[in-house]
This record gives sequence, structure tokens and C-alpha cells, in this order.
Amino acid sequence: MKAFLKPDLPGILRQIRTEGISIRRRFVAYIISAIALVMSLILLLLNLFGVMNPTGTRILDSLETQLISYADHIKRDYDKAAAHALSFSDQLETELQHFLTERNLTFDDLKNHAEALAALQKELYDVVYLNMQLAPSSGAFYILDTTVNSRSEVPLFNGIYLKYINLYSENTVNNEITLYRGSFSTAKEGNITFHSGWNNEMRTDFFDACDAVFTGHTHYILSPDVEIPDTWERARYVYVPIRDQKDHIIGVCGFEINDIYFQLSKKACDDRLGPLVGALLEEKQERYDGQFNSNRYSQTATDGVWITRKGRGTVFDFGTERCIGKTRDVTLGNSTFTAALMIPEAQFDAIVREGQLKTTGIILAVVLFMFAYCLFMSRKYVAPILLKIEQIKYSDHAGEPLRIREFDDLLAFMEEKASVHAEQLKTLEASKIAAEEEAARAREAYEKALEEYALAKNELLHLSENKHEIVLEDYEYFVCNLGTLTPQEMRIYDLYVEGKTTAEIAAIIGIKENTMKYHNKNIYAKLGVSSRKQFLRFAALKQYQDKKGAE
Amino acid sequence: MPSPSEPVTLTMWHVYGSQTVSPLNTVIDTFNHTLGTEYGITVNVVSVTSSSAIDKALAASANGEPGADAMPDLFTAYPRVAEIIGPENLLSWNEYFTPDELAVFHEDFLSEGYFGGELLMLPVAKSSETFFLNKTLFDRFSADTGITAAALATFDGVFSAARAYWDWSGGQNFLQINDFYHYAYVGMKAHGSEFIRGGRLRLEEEAFRSIWRPLAETAIYGGLCFEEGYAASRWKTAEVIANTGSTADVLYQPEEVIYPDNTTEAIEAIAFPYPAFREDAPGVIYRGGGLFALKSEDRRRNQAAYIFAKWLTGKEANLEFVTNAGYLPVTEEAMADLFADYAAIEKDNYRSVYAAVETMLDTYTFYSLPLYEGASEIQHDFEANVKTVLKAAHHQYAKRVSEGEDPRAVLDALVEESLAALKSLSGT
Repeated sequence: MKAFLKPDLPGILRQIRTEGISIRRRFVAYIISAIALVMSLILLLLNLFGVMNPTGTRILDSLETQLISYADHIKRDYDKAAAHALSFSDQLETELQHFLTERNLTFDDLKNHAEALAALQKELYDVVYLNMQLAPSSGAFYILDTTVNSRSEVPLFNGIYLKYINLYSENTVNNEITLYRGSFSTAKEGNITFHSGWNNEMRTDFFDACDAVFTGHTHYILSPDVEIPDTWERARYVYVPIRDQKDHIIGVCGFEINDIYFQLSKKACDDRLGPLVGALLEEKQERYDGQFNSNRYSQTATDGVWITRKGRGTVFDFGTERCIGKTRDVTLGNSTFTAALMIPEAQFDAIVREGQLKTTGIILAVVLFMFAYCLFMSRKYVAPILLKIEQIKYSDHAGEPLRIREFDDLLAFMEEKASVHAEQLKTLEASKIAAEEEAARAREAYEKALEEYALAKNELLHLSENKHEIVLEDYEYFVCNLGTLTPQEMRIYDLYVEGKTTAEIAAIIGIKENTMKYHNKNIYAKLGVSSRKQFLRFAALKQYQDKKGAE
Repeated sequence: MPSPSEPVTLTMWHVYGSQTVSPLNTVIDTFNHTLGTEYGITVNVVSVTSSSAIDKALAASANGEPGADAMPDLFTAYPRVAEIIGPENLLSWNEYFTPDELAVFHEDFLSEGYFGGELLMLPVAKSSETFFLNKTLFDRFSADTGITAAALATFDGVFSAARAYWDWSGGQNFLQINDFYHYAYVGMKAHGSEFIRGGRLRLEEEAFRSIWRPLAETAIYGGLCFEEGYAASRWKTAEVIANTGSTADVLYQPEEVIYPDNTTEAIEAIAFPYPAFREDAPGVIYRGGGLFALKSEDRRRNQAAYIFAKWLTGKEANLEFVTNAGYLPVTEEAMADLFADYAAIEKDNYRSVYAAVETMLDTYTFYSLPLYEGASEIQHDFEANVKTVLKAAHHQYAKRVSEGEDPRAVLDALVEESLAALKSLSGT
């Protein structure tokens, strides 16, 4: 197991160096390397051109892109409300001045003057109502620094504050209106219902949360998201100052954009991520409060949100849950707010996990493809080669062509060579057989010679043994007179030397026995021998000496 | 099944709350941060409004009117809305709730929600009607006139007190009847008759004349408000000091009266059982619609709606919701628990409401309004017609009396004329 986990690499390398790598392994290694290289190159290029990013980055990029238009949408809407507020303020100032002039009153005269204030509300009601219809808002108001009862325990401002009763759409055209702040007579005259939290006048501390100073550069103020007193709602206010003829600020007017209106008008959706949580936030004691396009995340449901950066994204911590998204600063009025788009962290994580699974799946698929491709190519390409090699190893001919030109050429070349070699072998075989036959004949001759030699040797030995019986002078006489023999007699002599009998010689020559005897008598006489025995002994000795002399 | 990795957001329009407070929103927040978080479900309340506004908005959405918003995934409404939207577009709760889960519901509440075997409206809270009284101002009137709250047990007593209050206050209305249709329905039942038969109103019945006379007499003489708008708004300015209405009106009741000079007066509100037409046959209706869900092709959305509805109708969440909104819970067990321990409810006016309901549960007959073709329109028209004829008659009375005619004779004549006018307007 340990050896399996820790392969002997030096050993393997050594083996590769000494034994080489099989064609199959080499082929698989090359194909895998090639595919891996191409895949890496594609991934590199996709990354380089931003086509392929990790899922989390892609989500954040998508949110960032959407946030640009989302923040712009918010800015346009609030600026539009502000533009209406400025026009609203102009109309109120004109109407107020007209009202005061007509009744020969000053603004200060309105204080504790319930009847005049009710009459003023009657004059201004239509202005409020019409501007509310025009502006992208959930309510409209004007509040003047005056009251029907300055002795009231709670300091109050007088004015009209209208709200839509039932907001269920960004479109407010058909919505009924309710009087949230304003005199009893205003409701009666306008034939509108009282809001559940209705009151005559507005507490002066109402704008404490969004108290700001109008300077020469401030066109309008957008308040933080604050609770609307005596309701379950929260809202921002876009408001501008109302000034008297001496340019003193005597009140404010503007529009309410409550959280529901924000939800309805600031929806955000991504075709892949689905509904997005959008928000317009402001920093408040290290946390962020504000309006969300989902009441799940609004401040009424949670207690502000911690915002921290994490990598390229932003984490929105609501305490009980978290979201991941992006933020962007937006300047509205005289303040900077934070626009945000986000999705729940659980959803973010799930999408990232899904992306990782997909990537893993793709890698696995590529690996499987590489494996399958190698297998296929090995079977289709390497296996026939190996089979062919086996065939070549164990067979005379290579069989069918592989249809691999180089390899077929090689095989043809090898076959041609083999054919030449076979021919040569065949010639050599024939030469060998001829040589072997020659050798056999030589061996036979040699053996016969050896036999004759042995015989001669024996005879010689025998002669040597009888040498002392032969009279040298007789022998020399014999030898010297051989030349005296006639051809017929010489022929007979040779036949005797060959070992033929008298009868055989007579038969060979074709003479009669008497003639034979005659010749024998002459031969004996000429050679000086007295018997056949002596004749044969001298003839054998002569032959031996001739042979020896020849050697 | 919904999951945090694939969250589902359901938009909702409902009627359970006022501009001041919405107990259902609070409960929904709890859901969103508990079970909703577990399943990745967010219920997003877009609108808290009246049932008539929801009807109107749903009709606009269903008809695709320009400017109308998309239909919400969940909404509370009366059964009549099924006709507007089309039952085939609504989720059948019985496809998701098991028979055992449905068995725990109050049978009468559940039966209202069936449309041809499909449970399209799931009860989430029910109410009945009670009689609300601004005790602070009434005590002042009572001290001067000797008319006590005991007289308010019957409509005869209530109307009598209303006329007396008109005289005593110098022309202020005593009472607003929240729903004349309900008044007529229960009144006719008390007289052994039926207000609705064969899908039409039986104004020609003698029983109707019997209940019309005391109502019209008071409205024409003075003391009964017949203007549009909520009674709670009029309580705030002391335009009326009593009203009949849903138990849920307690949610809207102001704690003080505000006078034009910005001075205020704290008030005590109490509830009594719905006034009886006949003491021996008191009756009252169950009110309240239920929860509808738009059927989605995405089954996860339907499941999310079921998970939310099941949670909302569970004992704990349901009691938390209804007891803060003046409603009744929808399961037998929760109902028993509520009346076993309503004394623990913190607010006096809420305790008073549940005491009145407990009395009615013991002695009253409860009716549910029948659903028939065109019911919504007929009900709406009847309300408007009653107010129109009574308003006209009231002005006629003041004019003719100021011109020297005999008040009694004028009153009698106008009662008959108003009835005839009502029948005429109603096409009977």
C-alpha cells in the first residue's frame, strides 16, 4: 500500500530509459497532453477576455452592472420628486402670499388663528392634491411654522399632509387619498377620510430625524428613512423650503416616499438570479438603515444592517441572515446615500456551489472524454499497429494493409527486404546442399583411400615382414625387365596387380587358358621369377614403391 | 420544495390592519425570519387595504387594465372574488392540505371556502359583528338623559338612544351602521324570513318593512350616520360615538378624541353583543374572508403558499395574529384556547370584544352570508342605495320641518317614500 501511494519514480524513469515506453503509453500521454494543453489554452483565453469567470465573480459582476442602472433609476426618481417639490413650493408661496394679501394678514397673524388656518388649508388643498398626483410619491405635505394652539403641551406645526390609502402599485392614479395631518374641515371639504393616525397638526419634532440646513447650494433635502408617527410605516421625505417675501424660511413642503412605494417602484430582477434585494441606505452609527424593495429586509423587520467588504463583494449582515451584493454611492439632495443590490447569502452560496459542480462536471467530462478518446484512438490506431507487429512477429506475411501510409510503406519495404533475404537464403541453402553432397563424396573417397592405404600399409607391413625372404637382385632384375614385357603381357601384369585371377584375366582379355599360360611363361621368364607367388610378391612391392614414390 | 438556495418571494395583499398597525405584518415578519428562512420563503406584503379596494385592484389586475399591477401571489378577500378572478386561476388548498390537516378547522369557516369541491379560500381569521360604544362620551349623555347601556341590547333601544343623542348633542350622530346589508340579513332572519332568496333581495317582504322602519326613522330624524367612510375615523372627531361593525374594528379604534382646537380627550371604548332585533331570537353573522393563492405553474410557489398558510393557521401563530387584530381563530382548538384565557389579553377594549363574542357564542345564532351570482355587486348597490335614499330623506325632513310641516307626519311619509325609493333603485 505504501509503495502504491509512493511510486518509485526514479525506478520508473530508469526503466523508461533502459526499456523505453510502449507505443500505447506514449500515444495516450501525447493525446492527454495535447487535450490538456488545448483546454488550458481555451480556459486562459476565456479568462483573459472575461468570458469565463468563477460563478461568484460573475454574480457580483452582474449585480454591479445592474446596480449602475438601479442607482441611476433611484437618482432620477428622487430628482424628479425634488423638481416637483420645487414647483410645489413656488405654488404654495404664491397662494400663501395671495391669501395673506387678500385678508390683509401677516404670516405671524396666522398663529392661534384656527379659522384663518382652516381657510388657508382650504385654499391650499388643491395645490397639495394636484402635486401629489403628479410626483412619484406616496404622499404630499406642506407644513408651516405656525399652529392653531401655541399653548399646546406638544409644539405643533400646521399644514396638510395627504397620503394614498391603498398602495398596491407604483401607479397611484386610482388610489384614494386620506388626510393624515390637516384640519377637520379640510377632510370634510375635500370629502376624504381620516387616516387611522390622523391628527390636526404635525409635531415639530417630526423632522428632527431629518433635520438639515438649507444653504444656498441645497436644492432639496432627502431625509433618512424614518418612522411615520402613529403608523406602522416608514418613509423618506423629499422636501424643500417655503419662503416668505423676505426670503425667510417659514415652512417646508415636499413628498413622502414610503417603504411600500419604494418597494413597488424600485423592483429589481435578474433573469438568472431572480428578484434582487435593492436598497437605498444611509450610515447610522456604524450600521446602515434605509429602504429596501422587500419588506423582509426593511428596518421594520430588522434592526439595521452591518456592511462589510469581502473580496469583490459586500456582505450585508442583518443579524439573523446575510446577503451578498454590491454597493454604490449616490448623491441625493445634500447627502450621500448608498444604493445596494444583493441576494441572500444562501442563494449566493447555492449558485456558487452549482457553478463549482458544473466546473467539476466539465472537468470530469473532459477527463472522461480524454480517457474515451485515448481508448478509442488506442483501439482504432495503436491496437492495429500492435496486432500487425504481433502478426509480423509470428507470421511470414503482414496480412491486410493497415491503411497507414507510412506504416504500410515500412511493411512493404520490410517485406521486400525479407523476400530478397529469402532468395539469398534459398541460394545459400542450395549451395549448402551441394557442398554437403561434395563433402560426402570427398568423405567417401577419403574413407576408401584410407581403406586402400590401410590395405597397402598392411601389405607393406606384410612385405616388410617378408622382406628378408626376397632376394634383392631378383627383385631388381624383376623391376628392370618390366620394360621388356609386351603390351599384352603388360596388360596381363596390370590385371594381376589389380588382383584378378588367371581365369578372370583370360576372360577380360579374351584369350584361351593355354594362351594365358604361354603369356605367363614368357612374363615369368622375362622377369626372372619362378612362381606366381614370387611374381605377385614382386608386383605388390613394385606397386607400393610406386605409390610411395608418387607421394 | 422551496429552499434557501432557490428562494421564493410571494407578494401579498391583505386586509388585516390599518394605516396605524398591522398585526398580520408582524406575524408575517416572524414567519419570514423563522420558517420562511428555513424554506427560503419570503412573504412580501405589498398592500394593506380594505376588502373592497382589494376587489377593485384584483379586478383591474385580472382584466389587465393599464396601470394595474401584477396580481399578488397571496391575497385575503371575500369568497365573491373567486368569481372575479376565475376559480381556475386559484390554488386549491385541498390539493396541499391533507384531510387531517383540514379537519382541525372550524367546520363553518372552512365550508365557506369551497367552490365546487375545491377549497379556494382558506380561513385565516374570522370575525363577527359587535356593537362598539365610546363609553366616555356615552356616560356623559347617559348621565343627562338616563339612557343606559342596557338599552343598547336591541336595535329598538339603539335607535331610540340615537334619536335622543341627536337631540341632546344638538345634531350629532350617535351611530354608524357599518353594513346595512348585514343589518337586513340578520333582521330578516330574526323575523323568520329571508333577505336573499333566489339570488335577489326580498325588499317587498313584510319583514323587511319591519326592520326598515326603525332604521329609516332614526336616519331621517337624525342620530344615524349614513355617510361613506369608516366609523373609526368619526370616533376620532366624535362625529359618532357608537357603531356596529366587525370585531376587528377594535384595531382601528382611537384612544382619544381630537377636537378642532387641537385639544384631545382620552376615551374608553367597550363592545357589546350585536343588538338583537328580537330578544328571543338574537342572531349575528360570521364575517371575514380568507386567504386565496394564485395558482402557479411553478409548483414550488404553490408549496410555498401552502407552507405559509399552514403556519399562519397553526394555533400559535393564528392566536398571536387574531388576538392582536380583534378576530377569531380558525381552528377549534385555538378557539377553545382563546375563550379559555381571553382575560389575559392586555388591552381592555380587546378583552371587551372577546367578552361580547363569548356571550354571542352562548346565546346567538350565527349566520354566514350566502354566495350567489352577482352577490358582490348586489351588496355594494344595496349599501349605496340605502345611503342615498336615507340621505335624501334626511335632507327632505329637515327642509319640510323647517317649513312648518308636522314632524311626525313628515317622518312617516318619508319612511314610506324612502322604502319605495329603495325598492325602485334596487329594481324590486
